[in-house]
Amino acid sequence: MKYLMLIYGNQEKWASIQAEDIAKQDAFNKKYQDTGELIGAFGLADAAQARLVRRENGLPAVTDGPYLETKEYIASFYLLDCESEERALQIAADMPWADQEPVEFWPIMHEAKLDL
Amino acid sequence: MTASRVEDLLRELAPQVLAALVRRYGQFHLCEDASQEALIAAARQWPADGLPENPRGWLITVASRRLMDQVRSEQSRRNREEEIAVATPASELLGPPADAEPTDGDDSLALLFGCCHPGLSPPSQVALTLRAIGGLSTAQIAAAFGVPEATMAQRISRAKQTIKAAGLDFSMPPGAERADRLRAVLHVLYLVFNEGYTATDGAELTVPALSREAIRLTRWLHRLLPHDAEVTGLLALMLLTDARRPARTHSDGSLVPLAKQDRQRWDRTQIAEGTALVAAALPAGEVGPYQLQAAIAAVHDEATTMAETDWPQILALYNLLELIAPNPFTTLNRAVALAMVHGPAAGLDVLAALAADKRMARHHRLLATRAHLRELAGDPAAASADYLQAARRATSVPERRYLALQAARLTR
Repeated sequence: MKYLMLIYGNQEKWASIQAEDIAKQDAFNKKYQDTGELIGAFGLADAAQARLVRRENGLPAVTDGPYLETKEYIASFYLLDCESEERALQIAADMPWADQEPVEFWPIMHEAKLDL
Repeated sequence: MTASRVEDLLRELAPQVLAALVRRYGQFHLCEDASQEALIAAARQWPADGLPENPRGWLITVASRRLMDQVRSEQSRRNREEEIAVATPASELLGPPADAEPTDGDDSLALLFGCCHPGLSPPSQVALTLRAIGGLSTAQIAAAFGVPEATMAQRISRAKQTIKAAGLDFSMPPGAERADRLRAVLHVLYLVFNEGYTATDGAELTVPALSREAIRLTRWLHRLLPHDAEVTGLLALMLLTDARRPARTHSDGSLVPLAKQDRQRWDRTQIAEGTALVAAALPAGEVGPYQLQAAIAAVHDEATTMAETDWPQILALYNLLELIAPNPFTTLNRAVALAMVHGPAAGLDVLAALAADKRMARHHRLLATRAHLRELAGDPAAASADYLQAARRATSVPERRYLALQAARLTR
């Protein structure tokens, strides 16, 4: 079963991050890449770099934005593949800052055609 | 010889080659890599050049050579050569060569038991079994499970490290432990089957049909252990379930529930084989969960319509199954059987008791079952609400679509 974990934050938060914090996150990533459960971990660029894309007359039309009204926006996402939701929740709780900030946890839909 | 016939032959020889190497050199993690490389080399050469005179001997020779190359090229060359020398008993060096005729299936069986070692997580057991026993490549296994090859490679490599660290010698576990390990082996094969039964239909060549692979491996295990009733039961269960595959989906991929399936499209040959297997297993040995599930599948498969199904017999089998292997999903199925025999209210009572468990109460399977029984009980509004909740909680796209359609049908 695959799951998505999302971490939110803002500039202020990133500015306060220390080298040992990054090391903690790297250690987490390595730990679960080694077990074959963390498919990928991706940090997003700052919101200033985000764009909105549309298609106009068959061509890409790119504008600045999104202009987020929330104080925090997506900072990174993690893709898990685990034997059970229980195990995936355990990994989410093992995220370095899960004792201070919640980790957003989403099951991913699959194409399994179960028996009815 | 065609590439697909070569592949079939290679998959059959895979565990034998690996078993021969492990017997001679120990060092499962190194032997496994080497035998994979030999299989890949054969898959490339044989379709073009034709089969060697002794395919098995060819593979073992090539794999042994790769193993030596690998050992020599490692940085810790000296250490590793020592490891091999230490792991190879003197009698082995003087004994029959690794490609001597196999004594019997015991080596391959011991290998399978090793792949399902309790120290490994179930996903690792599955991946390792498919590679070492099934002869599938890491890329094929990754495609079958929908993960990147690197992730699957990591899973396999970690499993091999665990085996190395545990000092597993791949000999047959003794008496009492053997029964426990066989249970783990059957569970792994069942996981592979279910993954294949529920995921892709294997139409693409790059994605192996896992359910077919599980049947092939279980058939092989059944040949090695013909008198184990649960092995027979599992093979029967797979055949009887897989027989319904042609009728399970519409051409657009949407699901067809058992009640609406065109039973003419069920595979009668597979049903006959599965039924004969379970009929032979049940009176022979100790009754186990796979035999009972196979018996239930057989009763369904024998009925020409849903209405003609022998529900009292299905209910009796679920009662027995719940007794020997209690599980909330067995209880769910028992509730349906109970409803078919004694009416929906009796089934709903069982579900109410089951919903006392909070996690179960939110499970889409319980909600979907309750919806079905509430509809039978003549309460379409409550049924629709349950179907809607079930749809929201399902993570399978076709299943969610089906459940949402049911909710909509009842509010029309």
